[in-house]
Amino acid sequence: MSDGHVDGAVRYAQDAELEGQWHAAFVRSPLPHARVRSIDTSALPRECVALLPEDVAGVGRYGCQLKDQEVLADPARFVGDVVAAAAAPTRAAAREAARRVQVDFEELPAVFDPITAVSEGAPLLHPEAGESAGDAVSIGVRPLAGTNVCHRFRLVQGDADAGFARATVTVEETFRTASAQHAPMEPHATAARWTPEGRLELFTGTQTPFNLRADLAGLFGLTEDRVRILAPPMGGSFGAKTFTRLEAVVACLARKAGRPVKAVLDRAEEWVTLNRHPAVVRVRIGAAADGTLLAKRLDCWVDTGAYADCGPGVATKLGYAGIGPYRIPNVRVDALAVYTNLPPNGAFRGYGATQSVWASERAMDQLAERLGMSPLALRRRNLLRDGDRFATGEVMHDVHFEECLDAAARAVGYERDPRGKGLCVLLKGMQTPSRAAIALERTPVGYVVRCASCEMGQGVRESVRLQAAALLGCEPGQIEVPDPDTDSSPFDTRTTSSRSTHMMGRALAKAVADLRANGGERGHGEIVNDGGIDPDTGQGIASTHWHQGAAAAHVDVDEETGRVTVEHLHAAVYAGRVVDRAGAELQNEGSMIMGVGTALFERIEHTDGQITNANLSDYNVPSAGDLPRRLTHELIEREGAEAHGLGETALPPVPAAIGNALGSLGLDLAELPITSERVLEAVGARDRPGAEAAT
Amino acid sequence: MTAWLAPATLEEALELRAERGAGASVLAGGTFLGILMNEGFLSPDVLLSLGRVAELDGIRVKRGELCLGAMTTHRAVERSQVVRDGWPVLARAFSLVASPRVRNQATVGGVLADADYASDPPAILTALGARAVLRSPRATREVSVGELILGHYETSIAEDELLVEVRVPPCPGRAVYRKFRSRSSEDRPCVAVAAVSGEAGLRVVVGAVAGTPQELPEACALGPEAAAEIARRYAEEIEPMSDSRGSAGYRRRVIEVEVRRAVEALA
Repeated sequence: MSDGHVDGAVRYAQDAELEGQWHAAFVRSPLPHARVRSIDTSALPRECVALLPEDVAGVGRYGCQLKDQEVLADPARFVGDVVAAAAAPTRAAAREAARRVQVDFEELPAVFDPITAVSEGAPLLHPEAGESAGDAVSIGVRPLAGTNVCHRFRLVQGDADAGFARATVTVEETFRTASAQHAPMEPHATAARWTPEGRLELFTGTQTPFNLRADLAGLFGLTEDRVRILAPPMGGSFGAKTFTRLEAVVACLARKAGRPVKAVLDRAEEWVTLNRHPAVVRVRIGAAADGTLLAKRLDCWVDTGAYADCGPGVATKLGYAGIGPYRIPNVRVDALAVYTNLPPNGAFRGYGATQSVWASERAMDQLAERLGMSPLALRRRNLLRDGDRFATGEVMHDVHFEECLDAAARAVGYERDPRGKGLCVLLKGMQTPSRAAIALERTPVGYVVRCASCEMGQGVRESVRLQAAALLGCEPGQIEVPDPDTDSSPFDTRTTSSRSTHMMGRALAKAVADLRANGGERGHGEIVNDGGIDPDTGQGIASTHWHQGAAAAHVDVDEETGRVTVEHLHAAVYAGRVVDRAGAELQNEGSMIMGVGTALFERIEHTDGQITNANLSDYNVPSAGDLPRRLTHELIEREGAEAHGLGETALPPVPAAIGNALGSLGLDLAELPITSERVLEAVGARDRPGAEAAT
Repeated sequence: MTAWLAPATLEEALELRAERGAGASVLAGGTFLGILMNEGFLSPDVLLSLGRVAELDGIRVKRGELCLGAMTTHRAVERSQVVRDGWPVLARAFSLVASPRVRNQATVGGVLADADYASDPPAILTALGARAVLRSPRATREVSVGELILGHYETSIAEDELLVEVRVPPCPGRAVYRKFRSRSSEDRPCVAVAAVSGEAGLRVVVGAVAGTPQELPEACALGPEAAAEIARRYAEEIEPMSDSRGSAGYRRRVIEVEVRRAVEALA
């Protein structure tokens, strides 16, 4: 398989060539919030098609959790919002045509910060409350009318105020995380064509073919079977290619052009397509003198940008992941997904956990210091164990948090000498409710396995192939796994939340049993996980399957410049039963390296809503030279266990492990990324006369 | 649409340059122009590519001076045995630029002609007393790096001139280049310090903190033994800028630390 990635045999979405296709380019708003007064197309060359507001007047709105997006924006709600589009025979001609479209804008007031956006008098991005999509989400969406809040998640367990009243020690701190870009090697790419029968066919890099099909069917007023999504492998995604991205506008262009149209974004456009939610998380946590946790309160402001996308889902998962894998009798969480005039933020490896775990696990170390306890002992004392109830009310099974934490602590010699070292333990949910299905068919050489799990470099095909070969008693080479196609692949919720190896493995076992029971030619297997939580109380089944992991970091600091060197980074991840060892190890390593970028330097910058580092020279992603001196990890297995998802688990704990390592040196960091400049400020704060007395 | 001119000889390139002047953007490795064009900051009508001009490529030593053709890549400088033996500090500075992928593309002439403050080579080339050779059909002249780089993206190259070569005098026995990065190891410098000590005395040049490489001869006259005092003066007198790699205040603190460390490394 790897050969095809290296020698060019793998055909990605950006390689799609449809007969007679034209290329698309987009006319984007230069202003963060502006009504379109008029559009002048008189300078357009002859051989091109422009998509204008009147062309999309008849289509509806789209969006996976709130239908708040128009095919062409009016008003434009961020710098880069698409207000018109052009198609022409070549990519260069399309870009030239888009450049010649003159748009007259009327500027509106804008807001760029989630806390300002929820303040009195802030300009509203979507004055009319969006219509809830319902079908693509596991949660009810709770927009607050007349505000920029597109979703409020609330969790109430016990009585937080009463818990704080009994606490001997209480810590309160506000933490922040920056926006980040997924930066997959392959940018977003979509090709669309309408068949003579009026069906829409899309070749698109996506992790969510069935959600996309439903969203587009709703947009065009078609039944779902009139939309076909073909999902070739992606050259990376990390959450960037989820739900509807370019597909709606490219489909409209193809319809107007009367021919197939393809769009491939350039690198700078990636920063105005989807990024990671920046968040502000205020943590208040109280404990008895012996370290027993009594109460926790989280207030979270999650900046979802100009459109909700899956921001409500991110805010929800961010909210409950921030509780941490602890027994806490009294918990209150309020998490708001907030509109701002910035490019939309959406799914990103870690899905909300990265932001709230940073806050929650830094606060645990601050609490340990106030209690005069070891951070490891404080965590051990309160960790969830088998049979305990989480704050959502659900009973936890197959619990391995302590094992993960102990393994991480051991790897860096934490108990021997904790100076310069930090720990973090994490709980992360999997998409719930969800469904997965597999269809098996015998061929002359082996079997075809049809499933809608999308390959984005994470190795899901190899995982399915290895599991199928083991269950069917044949060689992996005899198993064919075609690209997902909504016409022939059975329904699957989506390829997200580290669920595919786990869910598809179970569906596969059922399909193989079905095949054996029915003559050996065909088999079908489906897994349905029920559940979901109430958005107003946070009670219910948040996850049928918990991702569990921990990280430990050992750092060295140049205290004259603030430069941090990570000497050793270790992650321990609960894997249950390992299916593809090489693939699982690569997932851990990739997660940890992305975690280092988030921890130390990744940050999207903007001035008045204009992103100022939308290129890979000014925006840094980790390179080989940024790896910790030692990068180690382990997969924790259990005899007889199910395969556990692990595509993201080792990312969210990395920033807090590094932050806590700095904390052990008296350097108190509350904001990501942990830049050298912030570390130097922390050195100054620690060494300032009187600083000791203040803590 | 952008027109593409690709002369095969230097003579032809000079003629085209003189003829087109500012109407054509000179393209060397393209690592700088490429970003500007991709982001839509620049859409030149004409690109004058020097990629086919073989005379501009190559590393030679003439009368003890290192002569780097303008189209010599960073990677070639980094790997050249001649440079490593005679100008090891220069080979090292070029080896610290971005990634091999970029160094295989970026050129010696390009990095100087761009005058992008956030680059490694200008500081070390200034400290080594390098000169840029500027040629036009009417004349050839040599300017120091200080005379070449006038400010942010601004040089003294005339509209009919091409930067054809960089000449580096013999390397003093003691020379050091320190690149301080505040983010990724492949990032541009936040603060760059080049320090050399030879017969002509001490030269300390700080790059990447202002529009031009910064040098304070009076402070340098204190000599390598006065590292802390020299560092203090550099931090005090330079007016650093703020960007995503660090604020002005932060840069000022790092300048003091890195200048001191560089001078101490010479002593």
